[in-house]
Amino acid sequence: MAGISLKKVVKRFGVYEIIHGADLEVADGEFVVFVGPSGCGKSTLLRMIAGLETISDGTVSIGGRIVNDIEPADRGVAMVFQSYALYPHMTVEQNLSFGLRMTGHDKADVARRVKRSADTLRISELLKRKPRQLSGGQRQRVAIGRAIMREPQLFLFDEPLSNLDAELRVQMRVELARLHKELGVTMIYVTHDQTEAMTLADRIVVLNAGNIEQIGAPLDLYDDPANRFVAGFVGSPKMNFMAGRIVETNNGAAIVELVNHRGARLRKPAVDAPAVGSDVVIGVRPEHFFNAGEGDCDITIKADVAEHLGSVSYVYANAGREELIIEREASRQRANGDHLTVALRADRSLLFDKTGARVR
Amino acid sequence: MRSKSSAEFRRKIALHAALVPLALIWLFPLWMMFVFSTMSENGIFSPGIVLTPSDQFVQNFVVLERDVGFLRATTISILVAAAYTLLSVALTSMAGWALASYRFVGKGVVLATILGTLTLPYFVVVIPQFIMVARDFGLDNTWFALIVPPLFNSLGVLFMRQTFQMMPGELFDAARVEGVKEWRIFLFVGLPLARPAIAALSIILFLHSWNNYLWPLLINSKPAMMTAPVALGSLIGLTKVSWGGIMTGAVMLTAPMLILFVALQRHFVAGISAGAVK
Amino acid sequence: MRLRTQTAYAFLTPYLLVFLAFWIWPIANSFWLSFLNTRSANWTFNPRVTWGRLLVDPAFANALWNTLIILVIQVPIMIALATVLATLLNSSMLKARGLFRFAFFAPVVVGEVAYAAVFRLMFNHEFGIINKMLAVASVPAIPWLSSPNAAMAVIIIAVTWRWAGYNAIIILAGLQSIPEDVYEAATLDGVSKTRQFFFITLPLLRPVIVLCVVISVIGTMQLFSEPFLITNRGGPGQATETLGLFLYRQAFGAFNFGYASAIAYTIAALAIVISLINLWLGRERE
Repeated sequence: MAGISLKKVVKRFGVYEIIHGADLEVADGEFVVFVGPSGCGKSTLLRMIAGLETISDGTVSIGGRIVNDIEPADRGVAMVFQSYALYPHMTVEQNLSFGLRMTGHDKADVARRVKRSADTLRISELLKRKPRQLSGGQRQRVAIGRAIMREPQLFLFDEPLSNLDAELRVQMRVELARLHKELGVTMIYVTHDQTEAMTLADRIVVLNAGNIEQIGAPLDLYDDPANRFVAGFVGSPKMNFMAGRIVETNNGAAIVELVNHRGARLRKPAVDAPAVGSDVVIGVRPEHFFNAGEGDCDITIKADVAEHLGSVSYVYANAGREELIIEREASRQRANGDHLTVALRADRSLLFDKTGARVR
Repeated sequence: MRSKSSAEFRRKIALHAALVPLALIWLFPLWMMFVFSTMSENGIFSPGIVLTPSDQFVQNFVVLERDVGFLRATTISILVAAAYTLLSVALTSMAGWALASYRFVGKGVVLATILGTLTLPYFVVVIPQFIMVARDFGLDNTWFALIVPPLFNSLGVLFMRQTFQMMPGELFDAARVEGVKEWRIFLFVGLPLARPAIAALSIILFLHSWNNYLWPLLINSKPAMMTAPVALGSLIGLTKVSWGGIMTGAVMLTAPMLILFVALQRHFVAGISAGAVK
Repeated sequence: MRLRTQTAYAFLTPYLLVFLAFWIWPIANSFWLSFLNTRSANWTFNPRVTWGRLLVDPAFANALWNTLIILVIQVPIMIALATVLATLLNSSMLKARGLFRFAFFAPVVVGEVAYAAVFRLMFNHEFGIINKMLAVASVPAIPWLSSPNAAMAVIIIAVTWRWAGYNAIIILAGLQSIPEDVYEAATLDGVSKTRQFFFITLPLLRPVIVLCVVISVIGTMQLFSEPFLITNRGGPGQATETLGLFLYRQAFGAFNFGYASAIAYTIAALAIVISLINLWLGRERE
């Protein structure tokens, strides 16, 4: 059993507090991804779970046991590092077995585990090589193979794929998902890449500036973000944010006018709507623009650039200092400078107040 | 094109015309050391100019051996330099590892003390060292006196600290998560990765000990415990002395280091330019 | 990072023991000694015979003067030579680079006793190879080791021979850390090689050169073996007696440890002051 529980976890370096009280429950066998921009504290939080950083305040429990004062080695975790952290002077086999050999494990047992680990990661033919003779993807496999040697109940991954090229990254992502299914153990995975987070996670933890912004299943975060930060971070291309103003409130709903699109109004259900006249923000995903007349209101923009990806096209437009990205059906006709009218739908847009909090 | 390459050619000639004579002047003392070591006493003090070696090296050595027991002194020098190098590498790399790898109470004080006293001249410590070792503990003319007091080497500590700091910390964290004890991480991950730095440091330390003159001169005055430089130095300035013998000794002190230098020039240069020199 | 005080001191203790016993304690102890009259049976506090004597002792003034003369003449010559050597050795046009490097760097590994012996013999008045070669050029024999000025020159020549290559190694490392594209850009702009040296190389080398000067100053302040061995204990008379040699004689000839400690701290203070002046002169300007 290796569920994890973080209670009011704080990290301070001197006078700087960089994690401001994180609470999180991870169930046994779950795959949880910490995602956020660089400097948000996600790696620090992971290293605190591993025991490589001290915990300034609050508690971290693994499998029901508070581990604040327990050495990394005794927490029963394995970790895969961004740089792979393979020992350059040892062969792959020695890399895999180093930890067990150094902690006095039975030789036959170590050999058995090396074989199994190498089979699982398909690196058996590489055992006699040194790390520098391996490709990036192979090094990554060895690093993961080393992590499974101790048969831990909890795996920690610190941006393990960020040094790989795009194609390998997709491939390794699939392998990690397979590994998680095979081993059935708890995994915590740190990345700044929201695509990795969306594809791998059972649940995603979005961090920003030392705060947990939201915890949820990938599609829940996508459909129902708690605030503007999460809305902007999850999804690719990014959600569009358009300036709006409350012009009327009635019956638990607010009428919002788009500041840069005269006459465009949306009626959003809002229990605690900001006062009439307040500035608000309307968020619309690129794929949630509709053909003119098929939504609740139309807006017309001038396309600056069109990107044709084959399956779809992205139109980049600039309306009153607002960058908009609009997904359209693929078409060769669309060109720069064209005027384009699209529709918005109230149920396909999100309302945020001035502070970025969601208004529902 | 033509004019450019001819200008380049002229520059090339000028470069070598400047360097060749300078290099010959620089090699001259070493060459003469060798030439003198092969000449008889009469040869050295004859009026003619002799620039080529003669055949009296062995005879000169026999005289030197009779005067100061140079072989025994050389053996002492080799043993002292080897022990000193081994111990100093062990001490400085352990200390450098601690200062690079750990956060601990008093780290600031230790570092500040090491840095703050780094450039103090050796003369400031040599008198109390001498009083303590020779007078208070009566340890003059011992192996301990030759090897242990010169072991302080703050530059070496800083050099090793920097070496370990430049290694990716994740390597050591990976071992820590796997439950490997700190001294094993040092021994089996840190040290093997520091091999080039340790090679450079060892060479500089060995050279330093091999050529060390003042401290052994002060502390080991008994002929039976003299190091080779002290034994040789004891002849310089005597009126009735064999210069051929002295030169033979000088060659025997210098030649091994020159061979080492040629073989390991890269490490020498690395050691000196890293400032790992006292 | 976790706090690991115990582990850290387990690694540090062996070095710290040596460091405290043979470095920190002596530093403090010699400072205390410098206030004691160590010529009486019981060492008593009496800075008049140590620090006080420094002010009036003509032998000390002589040693200080000699040391400063060597410093002012030898260090600039050697650093300039080392800079030129490093630049020439770094040239891509150089043939037989290894041989040249050997010639200039080899003195670095030669011990003080060995090279002192050779220089003493080479500069011998009657039989020295230098005077014999001068005679070929019809220059009358120079009494190298028995004339005060000539003896000083021998010391300067010897130290320069021994240490120029050492400094060239450090400067060469500095040269090689200057990115090649800086020169390529200058060449494209039509800047001549000579101007590149003065307006690119030298300014970029300044920190390294200042470091070399500081190392050399500290070294020269402690000059001991050369006057001890080459000019026969600072001869002729006291003409080449340096601070280092004077200290050696006071401490280990006369066993006047208190006075010698005061000299040691004077050497330290001068070395620090001169180094600071150099660092100040070589500081990065806005």
